[in-house]
Amino acid sequence: MAEPAPAYTVASDSEATLEEKSSSHLPEIAIGIDIGTSQCSVAVWNGSEVELIRNTRNQKLMRSYVTFKDEIPAGGVSNQLAHEYEMLSGAAVFNIKRLVGRVDTDPVVHASKSLPFLVQTLNIGVRPFIAALVKNMWRSTTPEEVLAIFLIELRTMAELKLKRPVRTVVLTIPVAFSRFQLTRIERACAMAGLQVLRLMPEPTAVALLYAQQQQQNVHENMGSGSEKIAVIFNMGAGFCDVAVSATAGGVSQIKALAGTALGGEDILLNTMRHLLPDMDSHFSTRGMEEITRMGLLRVATQDAIHKLSSLSNVQIDVDLGNGRKICKVLDREEFEEVNREIFEKCESLIRQCLHDAKVDTGDISDVILVGGCSNIPKLQKIVKGVCKKDPYTGINPLEAAVRGAALEGAVASGVNDPFGSLDLLTIQATPLSIGVRADGNSFIPIIHQNTTVPVRRDMIFTTVHDNQAEAMIIVYEGDDKVVEKNHLLGYFKITGIPPAPKGVPEINVCLDIDAANVLRVFAGVIMPGAQNPAAPVMEVRMPTVDDGHGWCAEALNRSYGSTLDLVTVQKKGAR
Amino acid sequence: MWAASLSTHQQFLNPNPFKNDQNFNFKNPIWWRKQNSVSARCCLKKTEESKNHYELLGVSVDASAQEIKNAYRKLQKKYHPDIAGEKGHESTLMLNKAYKVLVREDLRREYDKSIGRVRVGIQSNTFRSKWREPLRPQALFVDENACVGCWKCVHYAGNTFTMDETCGSARVKTQYGDDDTKIEISVESCPVNCIHWVDSKELAVLEYLIQPQPNVGYGIYGQGWERPTNVFMAAKSFNKHLEQQEESKQRQGKSKDEEETPAQAEAREHAYKELQTGGFARIWSWMKRSTGQ
Repeated sequence: MAEPAPAYTVASDSEATLEEKSSSHLPEIAIGIDIGTSQCSVAVWNGSEVELIRNTRNQKLMRSYVTFKDEIPAGGVSNQLAHEYEMLSGAAVFNIKRLVGRVDTDPVVHASKSLPFLVQTLNIGVRPFIAALVKNMWRSTTPEEVLAIFLIELRTMAELKLKRPVRTVVLTIPVAFSRFQLTRIERACAMAGLQVLRLMPEPTAVALLYAQQQQQNVHENMGSGSEKIAVIFNMGAGFCDVAVSATAGGVSQIKALAGTALGGEDILLNTMRHLLPDMDSHFSTRGMEEITRMGLLRVATQDAIHKLSSLSNVQIDVDLGNGRKICKVLDREEFEEVNREIFEKCESLIRQCLHDAKVDTGDISDVILVGGCSNIPKLQKIVKGVCKKDPYTGINPLEAAVRGAALEGAVASGVNDPFGSLDLLTIQATPLSIGVRADGNSFIPIIHQNTTVPVRRDMIFTTVHDNQAEAMIIVYEGDDKVVEKNHLLGYFKITGIPPAPKGVPEINVCLDIDAANVLRVFAGVIMPGAQNPAAPVMEVRMPTVDDGHGWCAEALNRSYGSTLDLVTVQKKGAR
Repeated sequence: MWAASLSTHQQFLNPNPFKNDQNFNFKNPIWWRKQNSVSARCCLKKTEESKNHYELLGVSVDASAQEIKNAYRKLQKKYHPDIAGEKGHESTLMLNKAYKVLVREDLRREYDKSIGRVRVGIQSNTFRSKWREPLRPQALFVDENACVGCWKCVHYAGNTFTMDETCGSARVKTQYGDDDTKIEISVESCPVNCIHWVDSKELAVLEYLIQPQPNVGYGIYGQGWERPTNVFMAAKSFNKHLEQQEESKQRQGKSKDEEETPAQAEAREHAYKELQTGGFARIWSWMKRSTGQ
């Protein structure tokens, strides 16, 4: 990451106190932040346990939105909503986690077009245009800016409570985030003057909290010290994640991860469309009145879904004005049928994760359900059905991720606890494979999915043309055989390959991921029999792509065709 | 050569000698991101090549999967970058690699073959000697058939040898339990020259075979305990037998392997490739040399 150039500064005497801090050799304890699609929270290790930080209104969980209605934008931490509809007036931008780091061809971006603020797409693979409605004018913003404003509020809140500057954070992220999206989160943090210590997939943060609980049980002689397999299912407003972890002795080892951009928001949109089938055409003009109506429908539907968690049917009455009225009794079966595809996807995600972890349902010790959607009876039923176990009850489903992040913040900051409560470790795994384009248009993984990090792997490639002097290394992340269906991370050229028949030069590509999840790509050329590389070895930190590089691979292909291609080498040693 | 292996061992055991006074710096991402260079990342390659996976995890070649898991977790808690700072990166890479191979039964079997070790499949018992130090290429072995029970070796090197009163013969309890001079004297002192220096790889089989086995008798005749008269010959044929078993096991395993998804097979193949570090490490060893590490 480039040097953080804070575009926003927090008025505090943080500069002076920070110097004091570093000279006293005391590690600064990183705080844990969970920015959810709909709610966010901050937690910190207070010396004996993890504590959630409350804002001035005594809230632990705050709404994730930023409103642009005043001169200075304000987020859900400091701002008090007069009423729910204010958030839906068009002046507030929310659900930003679903939009960050996505291009305008992404279906998730398109699904966000029914939100009250403006999401404009050109469908050419560039970042979407996002704007808030202020005094009947669309004021443009970016997802990073919205996140940064929000992070500054969270940071100020934490600094006020902790009476010290806050510089380092552990953030939770969805499993489904690409590495490019992670750089956007880091950018937002840099804008807010925060240094990211770790980015933790949400279910792995929950797994760490679980590891601590198990460790405490062992200390109190309540549980056995043997290895426990836990399945963690996390579904919030924007994302759905699954992790399988093996826990023993305070060490949480992630065996497999799976995730997708499906969440409560999709359930809500589906249900809204079910109640008002012509919703999209209805709201396409996006005038003040339409936005108000959409807000009415949204609040009513949200309310109904919440009620369906405990009731078997619910009465919906909304007056959309303009003569449109919705009066309907929605029962639970109907609701489940409307969202059948989403629930099926959740089920297959859990099954896939169990399969990847090579875990049988009989081996599962605990099933942990967290996130805002964990109250939905259908989801509870699915999880129970797949794992053949009742959900674990020792964890608060809305606070688990942020608590785990705070634990990791303390552990990775080097804090020790005399009572052994921080005698913990999380061993992470890669959610997606990482590799390069070779053998024509194939994706050749070098680091496979669910590989324990830190990891370093290399692979040898060779040229496809006689006297090929250059080769293009195009790095992708994903699990699709077809290279374009994966996320492009970056590309660079290896030059100075000595003239030789095709297949002779050895091009060694090495990928290295450290514990902070930083990916480095090394590439060098060696001629057979030679001791030294033919040209200087390259080291490139990935991802290097920026917004709008979705079409870069296409442009490269147009310019170079197959002239700079690579193929894998069949090693004699490998059978 | 032993000294070299010991020093690299210590180097590994102590990846972060400055931990106490520079703790904050190592944890500071800005600091280490600036400091990081290829040379720093590849300088430990030597250690990686000179230690085998079992030595790295500090487990015996016969260790159970559970023992391996426990050892891995314990070491990770010491060397993971979350705890040891950036210095832990190389150590953790090695640990992850070793663990990945040893925890998968098929990969472990192939690895055992590649380093020339045979797992006998017996857990520790009184006939097994223990290694307190890292494995050395040679080990002490008492041919108990020849031993006359003179107590001399126990007298000179009591931490290494022990006397089994029921069998009336001496036995190695701890490999290199005393210093080298004492051990040499005790080996020299044996009146029947029954203390042998053997290849460490063969030790497990020899120690297994020297155990008296109950004889199947008929009525009161022919019962009792018996050992092979020439334990070294027996070990040879035993090894041969094991190899055959191994082969047939693999042939049986084939059908199972075919059920693997292509991705799994590929991953396995890849891991196997990694074992042949030689060719793949050329670039990195060049870097090491050119940067003077």
